Amino acid sequence: MTAAQARYRVGVDVGGTFTDIVLHDSRSGALYVAKTLTTPGDLARAVMAGMDTVLEESGKEPSDVGALLHATTVATNAILERKGARTALLTTKGFRDVLILGRQKRYETYNLYFRKPEPLTRRRRIYEISERVDADGSVIAPIDMDGLDSVIDRLLAEGIESAAIVFLHSYANPDHERAAARRLAERAPGLAVTASCDVSPRIREYERSSTTLANAFVKPVVARYLDRLRETLTRRGFAAPLHVMQSNGGLVTPEIARDFPVRIVESGPAAGVLLARHIGRLESADHVLTFDMGGTTAKLGVVDDGEPAITSAFEVDTIDSRRYSGLPLSMPAIELLEIGAGGGSVASTDGHTIQVGPESAGADPGPICYGGGGDRPTVTDANLVLGYLDPENFNGGAMTLNPEAAEAGLRQSIAGPLGLSLEDAAWGVHAVANANMERAMRVMSVEKGRDPRRYVLVAFGGAGPIHAARIARALSIPRVIVPAAAGVGSAVGLLTADVRIDVTVTRAMALEAGASGRVAAAYAELESLVAKEAPRLGSTAPRLSRYAYLRQAGQGFEISVDLPDGPIDDSYVDRVIEAFRAAYERDYGYRDEASGVEAVDWCLAAMFSDGATGRLETTAVPRGEGGRIDGARRVYMPERAAWVACRILDRATLARETSARADGLPGPAIIEDPESTILALPGDRLSMSGRGDVIIDIDAMEDD
Amino acid sequence: MTDVGRNPRVDPIALSIVWGKLLSIVEEMGGTLRRTAYSPAVREGDDFSSGLFDRKGRLIAQGQFSPAHIGAMPDVVRNVSRYIPVETLVPGDVVLFNDSALGSGHFPDFFLVMPMFIDGRLVGYSGATAHHIDTGGATPGSQEIAGVGEAYQEGLRLLPVRLFRAGELDEDILRVILGNVRVPDLVQGDLFAQRNAAHVGMTRMLAIFEEYGEETVENAFDEILVASEARMREFVRALPDGSWEFEDFLDDAGPGSGPVRFHVRVTIDDGDIELDFSGGGDQVPAGINCYYNFTRAWGNFTAMALAKAVMPQNEGTVRPIVITAREGSFFNAVHPAPSGGRATNQVRLFEVVNGALAKALPHRAMGAFTHWSNPNIGGIDDRTGKPFVQYDLLFGGYGGQHDKDGEEGMAPLMNCTNIPVEVYERAAPLLVKRLELMADSGGAGKFRGGLGLRKDVQVGCREALATLLTDRRKRAPFGVFGGAAGRKAEIVLFRDGESIPLETKETRPLKKDDVLSFRLSGAGGYGDPAERDPRRIEDDLADGYVTEEGARRDYGVEIEGGRVTGGNPRPPQTGNEDG
Repeated sequence: MTAAQARYRVGVDVGGTFTDIVLHDSRSGALYVAKTLTTPGDLARAVMAGMDTVLEESGKEPSDVGALLHATTVATNAILERKGARTALLTTKGFRDVLILGRQKRYETYNLYFRKPEPLTRRRRIYEISERVDADGSVIAPIDMDGLDSVIDRLLAEGIESAAIVFLHSYANPDHERAAARRLAERAPGLAVTASCDVSPRIREYERSSTTLANAFVKPVVARYLDRLRETLTRRGFAAPLHVMQSNGGLVTPEIARDFPVRIVESGPAAGVLLARHIGRLESADHVLTFDMGGTTAKLGVVDDGEPAITSAFEVDTIDSRRYSGLPLSMPAIELLEIGAGGGSVASTDGHTIQVGPESAGADPGPICYGGGGDRPTVTDANLVLGYLDPENFNGGAMTLNPEAAEAGLRQSIAGPLGLSLEDAAWGVHAVANANMERAMRVMSVEKGRDPRRYVLVAFGGAGPIHAARIARALSIPRVIVPAAAGVGSAVGLLTADVRIDVTVTRAMALEAGASGRVAAAYAELESLVAKEAPRLGSTAPRLSRYAYLRQAGQGFEISVDLPDGPIDDSYVDRVIEAFRAAYERDYGYRDEASGVEAVDWCLAAMFSDGATGRLETTAVPRGEGGRIDGARRVYMPERAAWVACRILDRATLARETSARADGLPGPAIIEDPESTILALPGDRLSMSGRGDVIIDIDAMEDD
Repeated sequence: MTDVGRNPRVDPIALSIVWGKLLSIVEEMGGTLRRTAYSPAVREGDDFSSGLFDRKGRLIAQGQFSPAHIGAMPDVVRNVSRYIPVETLVPGDVVLFNDSALGSGHFPDFFLVMPMFIDGRLVGYSGATAHHIDTGGATPGSQEIAGVGEAYQEGLRLLPVRLFRAGELDEDILRVILGNVRVPDLVQGDLFAQRNAAHVGMTRMLAIFEEYGEETVENAFDEILVASEARMREFVRALPDGSWEFEDFLDDAGPGSGPVRFHVRVTIDDGDIELDFSGGGDQVPAGINCYYNFTRAWGNFTAMALAKAVMPQNEGTVRPIVITAREGSFFNAVHPAPSGGRATNQVRLFEVVNGALAKALPHRAMGAFTHWSNPNIGGIDDRTGKPFVQYDLLFGGYGGQHDKDGEEGMAPLMNCTNIPVEVYERAAPLLVKRLELMADSGGAGKFRGGLGLRKDVQVGCREALATLLTDRRKRAPFGVFGGAAGRKAEIVLFRDGESIPLETKETRPLKKDDVLSFRLSGAGGYGDPAERDPRRIEDDLADGYVTEEGARRDYGVEIEGGRVTGGNPRPPQTGNEDG
């Protein structure tokens, strides 16, 4: 029996603040959920606490669980806090400073008082090895093994725990890196070793160095963590295999995660996008924009043709998601845009305009209305003043909000200085927050050639569903879906994931007649890499899917292009070129038949699909009793005439009501979920899907 | 305080959202240009810009890209209208020019402007500028310094012309352009990328007019300028009033020429700041002069950077900043003064202002930068028989600042990425022998200057031509408040066992196996080296930024086993610091 065929499966998402656990019974469809505070000192503790809750609620034993699927921030945190291993970098003689120099660009042009991101090791731990390979992979200078030996002696003397090896042009010829790795393994068996040709054999030495070093830096930490988790699980009686989520949205075995921990840096967010993909599939939407708005930030992702959009590289530890502010990782990852716009984002004014974020009051002190000492108005305060939140029933009734305090704060900080009424000030904060998110959503969609009219917006996170309908309207997105159990989205997303690995190699070439031999060679190499990892994934022959990073000859930016399957014969290059032209036209709106096409990186995704995807169709809908909320209150709707009476209900009431009327429920209406509040506007049509997702069709009602 | 009143006032919510949308449009325009352009300056260096203008030609929003273009942007529409009367423009017209005086000071920068209309009425303009690969002239890239005595040697000069008329490409104009450049396909591609960017700007700005109505949007434009000016004035008001001056010198304007004097008088008076460069040298017969727009661009940048005014730019932002330069001087050159290689001056323009304001702004001033270098090597690749030109961008460290050592290896003012060694070697028959920071090259100080960068490149083809461009070989980058100057730059040619020192702005034929060794100057230090925390010295020793010998010499300390065991503070080194 494979992991996915098990009746009971558990998703575990260890996030920065919360650890979410879901246990799913694939036969009954029941979903048991636990949310516990993450325990930074010993992450396994929160995991086991959550496990106990779901086991107790479901009445199951650890031995009943057939699969454990895991997303974790352990690698990310080690990097963010610079709490990884004592790591050395071995590099080509003469190039010691590649890592220190970086790409040399400021993340803010007009700021000369910046600080470069602190690298993961210091210059004193960067060692030069005499060796040289050129751009074609020819050896110019042999590797000096005696010199290497003396460096190894120094690594041992200095208590180095992990070593990264990055030699120039190793993507073209990995022999020297491999030789060095072997010698390290022989002479320093206790040392963790990462060679760049294994982690990321791609051109551009700084990005490759940064990626390889990050892998080496987190390797011992992730290994210890996974060992400890496995041990704890085993002791508690869990025998099921553990799988770990990678940034690319695919699961791997702990053994592979230990070797390539840099692949799991965006583990949790990737699982969140998988949830949105899954919802899209169930609700017949192949094109999905995902919108996860929490307390501090909003995260946006994309699903195209039923698959999450993948980026070839990203940065970790950035400042406001700005390019060049963080550490680059040359690793395939689900495309995500994170902006400083959450419920806790602080609103302010300069006397002319209203600004929202990126500064956040977070959870502590939090918005003014939380009564936790926050004294600057936030998006949540504005939403409360506008009537969108119920002060008596926030967070499933777990908290009571103070509207008077929110009003006073908005008057003092916004309404007063700008000469606005209270509701205009609150509306201004809400509208500016929407405009910020609309801008980010536009970057993810229109600016990348995606027509929002073809997409649905899947909204989740505590604050997302309040803002989703207006953002959808601004971008002409016709439908918003707010899934059930959205508050533990990433944990649920894990249950829908495939086992998947992505491998990449740089083979820069012009795509012209006669190139097919080299393309075939690149893919033979990639398939052998997959074949090497496949046995460890305990799986049958994977489904392979080719893609590449290609560009117009002379341009400097590559785009990702899905390539055709089938034999790589003489005509294959033409098919690759055609695929490029179509993708280019999609992204930029025109074709240039005359230009040449160049390839940089060739990639292969291997999906070890065993039927896991789509097994959540029978998820049981609302938790608790439901149907308790059915009323009305006045909310601010400038789309209509300022304050209007608005229906307030919960999912169960909505289900009852819309099952009786085929044309759905007209907006305005508010659905109160335990973890969030859903807002539908005048003209919108609300309904509930068969699996319990709230559907908002934007502006779909006949004009009234 | 301004030419527009506050009435009728647009409501703050509409204003916030319209302003936000305008800023997102200029970003999107820049994104379109960057992704579809061919020029490496555009792709890697963000050497382009985007702007939206109102009916009156006022710059309302500009993308945060090349600061070099801000100097010209506010006058773009006025300059166009001197040649093409506004009333003759029709929908679908696209105007193009690259004149040095009208644009950003050298021919490779092309300005493209697209008027936009509602129901036949002109309501504004969308513009996109970009640095093109080549505009003809004496050498590839059109930025030669030595041996260029007149702008006519620098290639094609376009005063404003219509590239499109009522939506139709003027093939005749295009043929004139493409007939005068070395890489017509790429220039054409970049021109169309600019057109695409302007088109994106126009479409989205018209959508804002549609959504909010013309009156609200035009009121918002007025308010944006008022608010921007007020915000900039606040930044300037936070600076102390007074008047200061400073001078420094460019080594020369090419082999055989003398130093060029940079001089500024800075005057700050209740929210106004004037930078007067009139005391500098005269224009020179070499392709390195600053046209006024270029001086103004970096003057504006400098004023904003030192005031820490990180904010979106438009015509309102620059109103409190006045840049002056004597006509006929190096800083306000007159046609046909050549100017292709003027980019090298930008750092020095900043530095004289920085030097002048050091005493007034001790927490903003910094030691002088390592002088960057943008050499290129061209020739025939013997493997393919095809010509190549390999640009390069070399950046060293920043000067020390009041609270930290200079950052190592960063683009100084212009904000470009370097070119990866692996990409560089793949593109041309050149082999990089080393790329490293040079120990002890940073000026000593309480906060040390960043190190100079060394890059050695070996020629792998039979012959090649190197066009060198850097500075600070004769005058070291100064330190401030007792910080020492950085080490001077050197360029050395290793040929047949000999090492030959080269000048910073010469053009030199190379042959196979020659090794060209670029060694940028180090950056200036901040504060008395004797005040440096010994732990910082120990860290520098461990990391190899400073050698033991260097630490003893520059900091006067005793060292044993990597530890500072005794201080022997010497009087602060003086270099050519400003005190």
